Amino acid sequence: MVGKAEPVNGSVKSGSNQSIPATMQSPLKKSDLIPNLSLKTLKLKTKQQELLIRVSILCLVYVLAFITRLFSVLRYESMIHEFDPYFNYRTTLFLTEKGFYEFWNWFDSESWYPLGRIIGGTLYPGLMVTAAIIYWLLRFLRFAIHIREVCVLTAPFFASNTTLVAYFFGKEVWDSGAGLVAAALIAICPGYISRSVAGSYDNEGVAIFALLLTFYLFVKAVNTGSLAWALASAFAYFYMVSAWGGYVFIINLIPLYVLVLLITGRYSMRLYVAYNSMYVLGMLLAMQIRFVGFQHVQSGEHMAAMGVFFLLQVFFFLDWVKHLLSDTKLFQAFLRITVTTAIGVGAIALGVGMASGYISPWTGRFYSLLDPTYAKDHIPIIASVSEHQPTAWSSFMFDFHILLFLFPAGLYFCFKRLSDATIFIVMYGLTSMYFAGVMVRLILVATPAVCLISAIAVSATIKNLTLVARAKSKVTQTGSVRGSSSSKGSSKASLDQSQPFQRNGAIALLLGAFYLLSKYATHCTWVTSEAYSSPSIVLAARGAHGNRVIFDDYREAYFWLRKNTPPDAKVMSWWDYGYQITAMGNRTVIVDNNTWNNTHIATVGRAMSSYEDEAYEIMRSLDVDYVLVVFGGVTGYSSDDINKFLWMVRIGGGVFPVIKEPDYLVNGEYRVDKGAAPKMLNCLMYKLSYYRFGELTTEYGKPPGYDRARGVEIGNKDIKLEYLEEAFTTSNWIVRIYKVKPPNNRWERTMFHIYLGTVLRYHFQAMFHS
Amino acid sequence: MAKSTSKDAQALFHSLRSAYASTPTNLKIIDLYVGFAVFTALIQVVYMAVVGSFPFNSFLSGLLSCIGTAVLAVCLRIQVNKENKEFKDLAPERAFADFVLCNLVLHLVIMNFLG
Amino acid sequence: MPKLALFLILIHFLPFLCTSFSPENPSSRRVLVLLDDLALKSSHSVYFKSLQSRGFELDFKLADDPKIGLQRYGQYLYDGLILFCPTTERFGGSIDLAAILDFVDSGHDLIIAADNNASDLIREIATECGVDFDEDPAAMVIDHTSYAVSETEGDHTLIASDDFIKSNVLLGSEKIEAPVLFQGIGHSLSPANSLVLKVLSASPSAYSANPKSKLSSPPSLTGSAISLVSILQARNNARILISGSLVMFSNRFFRSGVQKAGTPTKHEKSGNEQFLTELSKWVFHERGHLKAVNIQHHKDGEADEPSMYRINDDLVYSVEIYEWSGRSWEPYVADDVQVQFYMMSPYVLKNLSTDKKGRYFTAFKVPDVYGVFQFKVEYQRLGYTSLSLSKQIPVRPYRHNEYERFIPAAYPYYGAAFSMMAGFFIFTAVHLYNK
Repeated sequence: MVGKAEPVNGSVKSGSNQSIPATMQSPLKKSDLIPNLSLKTLKLKTKQQELLIRVSILCLVYVLAFITRLFSVLRYESMIHEFDPYFNYRTTLFLTEKGFYEFWNWFDSESWYPLGRIIGGTLYPGLMVTAAIIYWLLRFLRFAIHIREVCVLTAPFFASNTTLVAYFFGKEVWDSGAGLVAAALIAICPGYISRSVAGSYDNEGVAIFALLLTFYLFVKAVNTGSLAWALASAFAYFYMVSAWGGYVFIINLIPLYVLVLLITGRYSMRLYVAYNSMYVLGMLLAMQIRFVGFQHVQSGEHMAAMGVFFLLQVFFFLDWVKHLLSDTKLFQAFLRITVTTAIGVGAIALGVGMASGYISPWTGRFYSLLDPTYAKDHIPIIASVSEHQPTAWSSFMFDFHILLFLFPAGLYFCFKRLSDATIFIVMYGLTSMYFAGVMVRLILVATPAVCLISAIAVSATIKNLTLVARAKSKVTQTGSVRGSSSSKGSSKASLDQSQPFQRNGAIALLLGAFYLLSKYATHCTWVTSEAYSSPSIVLAARGAHGNRVIFDDYREAYFWLRKNTPPDAKVMSWWDYGYQITAMGNRTVIVDNNTWNNTHIATVGRAMSSYEDEAYEIMRSLDVDYVLVVFGGVTGYSSDDINKFLWMVRIGGGVFPVIKEPDYLVNGEYRVDKGAAPKMLNCLMYKLSYYRFGELTTEYGKPPGYDRARGVEIGNKDIKLEYLEEAFTTSNWIVRIYKVKPPNNRWERTMFHIYLGTVLRYHFQAMFHS
Repeated sequence: MAKSTSKDAQALFHSLRSAYASTPTNLKIIDLYVGFAVFTALIQVVYMAVVGSFPFNSFLSGLLSCIGTAVLAVCLRIQVNKENKEFKDLAPERAFADFVLCNLVLHLVIMNFLG
Repeated sequence: MPKLALFLILIHFLPFLCTSFSPENPSSRRVLVLLDDLALKSSHSVYFKSLQSRGFELDFKLADDPKIGLQRYGQYLYDGLILFCPTTERFGGSIDLAAILDFVDSGHDLIIAADNNASDLIREIATECGVDFDEDPAAMVIDHTSYAVSETEGDHTLIASDDFIKSNVLLGSEKIEAPVLFQGIGHSLSPANSLVLKVLSASPSAYSANPKSKLSSPPSLTGSAISLVSILQARNNARILISGSLVMFSNRFFRSGVQKAGTPTKHEKSGNEQFLTELSKWVFHERGHLKAVNIQHHKDGEADEPSMYRINDDLVYSVEIYEWSGRSWEPYVADDVQVQFYMMSPYVLKNLSTDKKGRYFTAFKVPDVYGVFQFKVEYQRLGYTSLSLSKQIPVRPYRHNEYERFIPAAYPYYGAAFSMMAGFFIFTAVHLYNK
């Protein structure tokens, strides 16, 4: 085993290449390994050898899953990535500093000014509590570690744990070989890595672990019918609920699964025990999370689970009565009465609940899952997030690679050997694939299922192939292979002896499988290092000479805010940057990534898309001191505010009809050059982004004011700001901060109605004082 | 039609009663326990309908403690019932231990949720 | 030797003596007077004397004196500025339009007297202060009904106006009996500027035109839209007086008698002296200057100011407001000071009660809404310093352990839960025993 571990430590790539072949065909590998193991282990019995190999492979996969996620730390530094993780980091910091009760009751006055946000009641605390517990544990063990390091490494750690769960799940569903392959596949699957690299300190990091654990324990509970496993599954569900809003998937998939079993006539007492105890206990536990609260009995998304719960009771009752009654005719009568009453009562209860508003209707996000076009028409704020877009075919390929082809093969194997567990994994796979098609970020949920099903395909195929290959070799070179040939293999071999090219064909196919798997490993490693390890807070680009250029503008801007503005300054920006501003800049923001108040966001959207004087009124009413915009015209950074601007218009226009999208478009086209709409050229966002940009030459051979992100020369180069002044622009112009000027000392330029009100007030005062 | 239905119901009732009489005592005890739990749950629902659902968490915890108890007891009943072949290899002692464990968790959580 | 000691002590006090304009002593003390012609110094000596007698140091300079400057080494040398130089096209030294506006924007006071033929510079300054003089340089205010009766019939450009703003703070408590004589250019107030006010307006029959030429087109300014004397209090409480007539400050107008056309009474002395002197008291902060200090809020029954309130807390808010009397801070007494508890809109709006010693206070309950609130006092009264106080304070919801613990309505549920527990124990015993 020592020899095996070396390549893994030496280079991730070769390690991942090798560990997979090793996992998927333990019988074959064993014979190769035995000489390496030499004298010491020679005496071990076959069973023990297998166990040893299995444990070693698992350990390697465990380590591999961790280290392949460290690319981001190596390439950049140990830092928190993206947007949401900054909020999680900030709350974790608060938790470790102030303790759990303060965290639980935290009212944050720094975000959503002036509304504030009850942090404790509006987040999933699982991630923060997990990180804090790890931190406290390490502290207790006298490791002086900073909380940031814990946060950075939480996701890789849980990814490693997920591989273990995948192993056990695969073992439960198929066999231990499939489990090992599943563990190896999931360890490096890009679909999962994208959300669990070091620094990606987000809910999903722990939630996938919890999700898979819940499913595994539930399947285990169904298989054994034991209360203890159901209880464990309820606890895993509790952890999942505490960690991620995606728990809704569990609470809908499991009832669906139960329903399918009922319909296909696979109802069993075990199922009854597993589902009911898991549901009741899981629901009770989940209610302890403040953010979820009573949703399990009130929200439409959870009603399926409750309905299936009652259905199971009815089913059980009928079953019991049927068992008691010998006369079938009597039972028929009984059935008629009970079913009519049950359906009637259920329908009335649901109807009353819906009508009285006691059961809340489905949320927009849920609707948009069922109907992908829903969000686009109704909720621009959901549609505006790139993660919520329907998935492109290429990103499936990117995230799953060969698994995409192995998935149907795995389904075939599952259908061939149908059991309660395989039905579950098939349903999990199919539903999650559908959701992955609807929303990009749900690829994450589908990843474990795809890995498991593909693992079944790989494991089953290779097992069959090796059996064929080995059966032949047994005939030709008897005795050279020691032990471990199964009786099944030999029997099959004797059957297949008639086909002459089978062995060669099997070996060729085996090699092909190896090739595919090694390609997969290469692809995964490449994707991880190139695409998914970027922190997105520090941007990297290739310079003119092929050298790497780092743009650290975000942090530059946030630290400027932290050091140069008054502590109670309020910063207005588009909501994407809210979490980062509060976490790194330590300043109050108007809106942030927790998009709970659409009106507030729409107000900001309206301000950004209004003329400067109207925007000034809005900003004054929100006590805004600084405005922050992100601008990529100099660097060619494309996800800047100008490119997001249409969403601001849409979201603003959704609440305030004065903002109309066509005003910003020319013939339905969005442009910023000379041909742009006049309102576009003079709205606040345009002015703030391109202020003084007209003087700047960005690219050789292009006129000044050439926007590199959009490849055009801007249309309004002579921008004058009346109510704002430039406060800070970062070195690459990516972040620009403007200060809102106080009202003019001698002038009161206000909208007319305010002006009129003041005049009237003065007149009244004059009357009073006379 | 109505007559025949009521007659059916009567016959049904009688045969059910006679069939139930042969159930072992320990299962009967469990049934009694389940009945008690369901009865308490019903009382609470009626009370809620009368008084209103103001301390909703208290109502839920009260109700769920009953439902949870009933469900767990039914599960225990299934597992210790010797007629169920599915659970032959599950010892009744193990089943009961699981049951106690689940109940402990249930009541702890209920206690947390009640106030 | 004692002399030297005294000198040293005085030296130490010098900074205090110099920085006469301070929050503690808001009246202007050092005033720069810019003149077209030094003869004005004697022809308007009564007005200047009254200022000097009230303790102001007047520094007379010609407007085009190359040595004049408002500030040196970043420090303002003067607390007030009087521009009696309507025809000056350019100031000498470092003074220009921007310098004067900066002077005002940093809280200093200004008196501008224009005239017909006022220069563009003076007009621009006035425009920046929200006042537009008639664009025709030769135009004067003419009134054929409320002119001042004089020996010669004249062209009715000498106006006797008694249409004062009704404010004791601006014009003193003593009623101005005699009309004010005015001869000069009229102006209108910019409609976009609500800070500027007419103090002396023309009568409805007045109009602004060139008296020497025939009226060919309707005059641009007519009636009581014409302001003769206006004031402006900026947001930083700098005060500005703008008059369309320089001659109304002169000794001649101060002393001349006045009889308004159409009225039988002939006043021995015009109202100019009283009107302008009282107004100068206001401009130089001898009257109507308020300060708010010692803003406090705390929970009812506690003394310390918390960093955060909880919803439904009872709190006490207090503030002390004083008025500058010219020599000392006196308690300001009014019954219309209000405090708002504000988040996007006022959730609580309460009148503050006063103890007549300057302290204003009230108590109220925090609304049942959490968020970042502000205590806001917006006190804007005619002539008084506008007070705009705001203090931010977050209001948090209940903590998890601040809710009511045992609710009587929930006792059956408690009972059910506990009976289930008891049932569990009994069942366990029975089940085990039965086996």
